Amino acid sequence: MTDKLDRPIVVVEDSDEDFEALSRAFNRLDVRVPVQRFTDADDCLEYLRGEAHAGNIASRPALILLDLNLPGTDGKEALQEIKSDGDLRAIPVTVVTSSTNKADVETCYRYGANGYMTKGGSFQSFQQAVGTMLDFWFKTVVLP
Amino acid sequence: MSVIDESGREFKVDLTNCDREPIHIPGHVQGHGALLAVHPDYFTILQASQNVATYFGTPAETLLGKELSILLDPTQMGALRDARQSQPLAQNPVYVFQGEIGGQGPFDVSAHTYQGILIIEAEAVDQIDPAAPDFQALVTESLVRLQSTKTLEDFCQAAAVEFRKISGFDRVMIYRFLQDASGTVVAEDLAPGIESFLGLHYPASDIPKQARALFVQNASRIIPDPSYEPSPIVPTLNPLTDRPLDMSYASLRGVSPMHTQYLRNMGVCASMSQAIVVDGQLWGLIASHHYENRRVPYGLRRGCEFLAKLVALMVRGKVDEEQSSYRQQIEETHDALVESMSRHRSIVEGLTGGERRIEHFVDCTGCAILADGECHLIGQTPTPTQVRVLAEWLRRERGDELYVTDSLSREYPEGERMKDVASGVLSIRLTKVPGEFVLWFRPEVVKTVNWAGNPTKPVEPTPSGDRLNPRKSFELWQEEVRDRSNPWKRLEIESARRLRIAITEMVIRRAEEVSRANVRLERSNVELDSFAYIASHDLKEPLRGIHNYSTFLLEDYGEALDETGRERLRTLVRLAERMETLTDSLLHFSRLGRQELDLQKHDLNDVLQEAIEATSARLEETGTEVRIPWPLPTVTCDGVQLVEVFQNLIANAAKYNDKPHKWIEVGVRSEGALPGEQPHVLYVRDNGIGIPRKHFESIFRIFKRLHGRTEFGGGTGAGLTITEKVVQRHGGRLWLESEPGQGTTFFFTLGA
Repeated sequence: MTDKLDRPIVVVEDSDEDFEALSRAFNRLDVRVPVQRFTDADDCLEYLRGEAHAGNIASRPALILLDLNLPGTDGKEALQEIKSDGDLRAIPVTVVTSSTNKADVETCYRYGANGYMTKGGSFQSFQQAVGTMLDFWFKTVVLP
Repeated sequence: MSVIDESGREFKVDLTNCDREPIHIPGHVQGHGALLAVHPDYFTILQASQNVATYFGTPAETLLGKELSILLDPTQMGALRDARQSQPLAQNPVYVFQGEIGGQGPFDVSAHTYQGILIIEAEAVDQIDPAAPDFQALVTESLVRLQSTKTLEDFCQAAAVEFRKISGFDRVMIYRFLQDASGTVVAEDLAPGIESFLGLHYPASDIPKQARALFVQNASRIIPDPSYEPSPIVPTLNPLTDRPLDMSYASLRGVSPMHTQYLRNMGVCASMSQAIVVDGQLWGLIASHHYENRRVPYGLRRGCEFLAKLVALMVRGKVDEEQSSYRQQIEETHDALVESMSRHRSIVEGLTGGERRIEHFVDCTGCAILADGECHLIGQTPTPTQVRVLAEWLRRERGDELYVTDSLSREYPEGERMKDVASGVLSIRLTKVPGEFVLWFRPEVVKTVNWAGNPTKPVEPTPSGDRLNPRKSFELWQEEVRDRSNPWKRLEIESARRLRIAITEMVIRRAEEVSRANVRLERSNVELDSFAYIASHDLKEPLRGIHNYSTFLLEDYGEALDETGRERLRTLVRLAERMETLTDSLLHFSRLGRQELDLQKHDLNDVLQEAIEATSARLEETGTEVRIPWPLPTVTCDGVQLVEVFQNLIANAAKYNDKPHKWIEVGVRSEGALPGEQPHVLYVRDNGIGIPRKHFESIFRIFKRLHGRTEFGGGTGAGLTITEKVVQRHGGRLWLESEPGQGTTFFFTLGA
């Protein structure tokens, strides 16, 4: 589907089952981008900051898929950290969560999220949504 | 006539100052005996009344500084010493002997000590009574007759009769003091041809304050001749105390010129008064008049004093007896009210809900309870507004917990207009803020008071005009007393005070219980909400796993299974999907309870359009027509949540309908309500399948469905629960009318 970039997609997801569903969707959608998974927001932030300081443009993530319900630092806090960090702010972040709460949606966009999608519904509909989202980021728009 | 006061200054008495006249130190004795003030240990004569010259044959000046033995013979001195040693003489005159003094007499001699001085009084005996009556026998007989009386009235009448029988005075009256210190003749016994004073009323100034106080100390007062020649005490100041001689306990004590004038004006030639002291208070007098000068022999006087003391004790007994049945009634009502309060939630219900109610507590014609925001009236009372205004006045102007008056209009100008129901008010305050009260009312009772002479003019100027004299006329003078109720008794006032304490304690205890229960309830509500939220939120993740993995299993290994196996897996997916919908509904419902309402003014026509658009797919699919006969009002509400209310009701109306031509009517009903005054009643009506009456309540239960999963397009059964919750959070109410087969109408209000 996309081979024009070899910069990774960072996935912050603590649930193995949800990560497997996402991976399955990637496989089905023939996504050939390296996936860097974190089960913990702090580990992810540390990684992102390390890469940024090393000036390693090649390994800078093309996209971050962020769960909200995480152990320890939760997704919204991580989002705030990323979007208030001058080096990381440019990386698109799409929130992928089970929360349909309007307040959550609003907060995330206010914090600077670039997209918000929910995990609910059947796997087919989820896979379709993931495909549409990746098409947007990798085929439609120009990434930084 | 003048006297020397405590500070040694001359005191010129008239009726403007007679309540300050120092009547315990008149500086003279009456004419029927002589007085000696003696050193208590050495019997040196310190002061003497000037009439010793006539009575004992030696001028006072000669006696001063001498020993008493100059007058008394050794036997008499012995008797005095004996009395001094064997009896407590302090404030207690004791009979010492009868005999001649200085070769004259005989005299009845008594002695007492007061303020460190031994006072010896010698009263001239007219003649030695050859057969002195046995006073003890007389008193014992009287006692038997007094004991047989039933009421206080009968008792007083009997006391007057018995007292006259023993004392032989022309008129014996039982005079009772009222609360304002005026008094009434409540019983009387007369010699033939003597004018009756029964029922007459005398102003408080007739027996001034210090005279009433002296009666409590020394219960007996005898004036054998109001026209007596005063005999001054010499020297004026006692050499031991350097003060005028205090004669509070002396029976020869000189009388105020105002009082002797008063008696003379009345035509009375001798008087005797005995105080009736009940519980340390001057309850009344046994007042005797005689129309000739009359000395009262010592033995008779003691008999009268003894009888008077018995009368006082029995008056107390009668008063207690008369009050005791009323006291019992009050106490029983008190207990019943407290018991009822403990069973009822509100103060009003507690005080009016039982067999014995607040109006039975004291004798009253009406009663009001101002509590729990209510003004509850019983019997004859002022209007609710008048009661509220009165309570506000009590709260502001009369800070006390208890207020009592028998003449409200004298203190409270508005009282004039409600005196026919509330001249008398007894009120207890339950709370200061917001000002809760219980009030008992008594109407005005117009009374005629028969005064003995004009009480507003108790004085007349003397011909020379230099001072005022007691009135001369004791002609019946009638006064009509208005603006007054029957007075409140001390028992009633004290009982009301006690009831107030009991009620306020219960109110405080209850308030504490309620606030504790509220805190518990609030906490459990919050816990329940967050439980539902967290549970449904956290349930979703494993559920999604089950859903996804069943799908993956079907996709990856479907080939390895037979059709039954595959069908089972598809069922698993379907069940997981269903559970996810239920969890979503629960999550949504619990979120409603947690979210703050975003209250704004919304045009309900816009809100309704939004809801119609949101359900347009279903409306089109079912071919349902939406009718809006009248424009809807603009109300304050949470717009988003109200869209949901309409959406749920419209969706249900479209869903549960099997008619070929389906319609929904949305409108507002405002019959009986002025525009903008009452909450609008909104309704959503359909021509659907209807709801049987027995399900009217259960349909609001979460996840309750009346039909099979697949009938009428399915659903979770949370829609109406959520709708009701939104309406209730707006302070409104949701209800329905329905005719199975005909259609259903849901009504709702949005509170004030």
